[in-house]
Amino acid sequence: MKRNALVFASLLIAIAAMLATGKYLDRVHRRATAKLVGDVRGIAAPNFELTTLDGQRVRLSDYRGKAVLLNFWATWCSPCKVEMPWFVELQKKYGNDGLVILGVAMDDSDAPKIAQFASEMGVNYPVLLGTDKVSEEYGNVEFLPTSFYINREGKIVGKGTGLLGRSEIEDNVRKALASPVAGMNNAQTSPAGPRRVKAQTTAQ
Amino acid sequence: MSQKWTSLLMAFLLGGLAFSQGPGEKVPSVVMAPVGKVQVRAGNTANVELDFRIGSEFHINSNKPKSELLIPTALKLSAAEPVSVVALKYPAGQDMSFPFAPDEKLSVYSGDFAITAVVKAPAKAANGDYPVTGELRFQACDRSACYPPRSIPVKFEVAVVGR
Repeated sequence: MKRNALVFASLLIAIAAMLATGKYLDRVHRRATAKLVGDVRGIAAPNFELTTLDGQRVRLSDYRGKAVLLNFWATWCSPCKVEMPWFVELQKKYGNDGLVILGVAMDDSDAPKIAQFASEMGVNYPVLLGTDKVSEEYGNVEFLPTSFYINREGKIVGKGTGLLGRSEIEDNVRKALASPVAGMNNAQTSPAGPRRVKAQTTAQ
Repeated sequence: MSQKWTSLLMAFLLGGLAFSQGPGEKVPSVVMAPVGKVQVRAGNTANVELDFRIGSEFHINSNKPKSELLIPTALKLSAAEPVSVVALKYPAGQDMSFPFAPDEKLSVYSGDFAITAVVKAPAKAANGDYPVTGELRFQACDRSACYPPRSIPVKFEVAVVGR
């Protein structure tokens, strides 16, 4: 009987140790390979320095004060092609309000081929040459298209994986453009973020 | 410690390790069915059918996609000398449209497909087993997203007989 209790206790300890190990490995895995997983809203967008198609070096921090739509795409990605004309329209519509769209091309192709494709698509925003490092920084971008919506303070207010509808993309753009005074809650919950900001300001 | 306890502890260890998998991670799968040893007579050729299965939610470009921007499914094989792979026969793709581009037809494989490799043993080949190795490269998409190109290993063995 005493022996059975000892075995049972040992088993419980072993289970607890295994679960703790699993949890620890999970944390290590997330830290090592996917800094941005799950709900990333409110997290500061990792800064990066990438090269544009014409050889300029660009940092995300160069756009602090602007709302940034960071779109990971590739020329071989058919769903990505669907979004691009919408991005062109949104850049025209919200550019004066402070929207900057940055396309990060995750191709193995060389810059001229990507540039030709972007030109044929009428892209009117900077296209950057993606790297494995920036993919890792943004949580190992596994599938394309993936977009991050970054507000003027440099915080992520939305993420879209796979092809989204145009209106959903525009809603996310509006959240990114909303005044940071509103904080994360407004940006997460309402496409009408700016109106809420006004209401709060008036109340104060 | 008894084998029973060891097995149990191993099961818990594996359970713990399972926590290290990120939630919701979805990887397109293409797997190859095992191929038995292929017999070929010296001086002859043999067709080797390589069967692949694509995960149910995914499709991959055929060997001849309709745009040069799309990444074709391609098999690369290398045989131990003097055996050689003299031809690869790809199936035709299915012309399909998807929700992300309903007006556009893409040439794709989905479900099961087979590629035939034609292997040749020269007349001078000695009897014996010769490995053939390589990889299948593909680029998969589901109904709303695409995944970076991946490769899976391909391996089978040719037995040269009857010299």
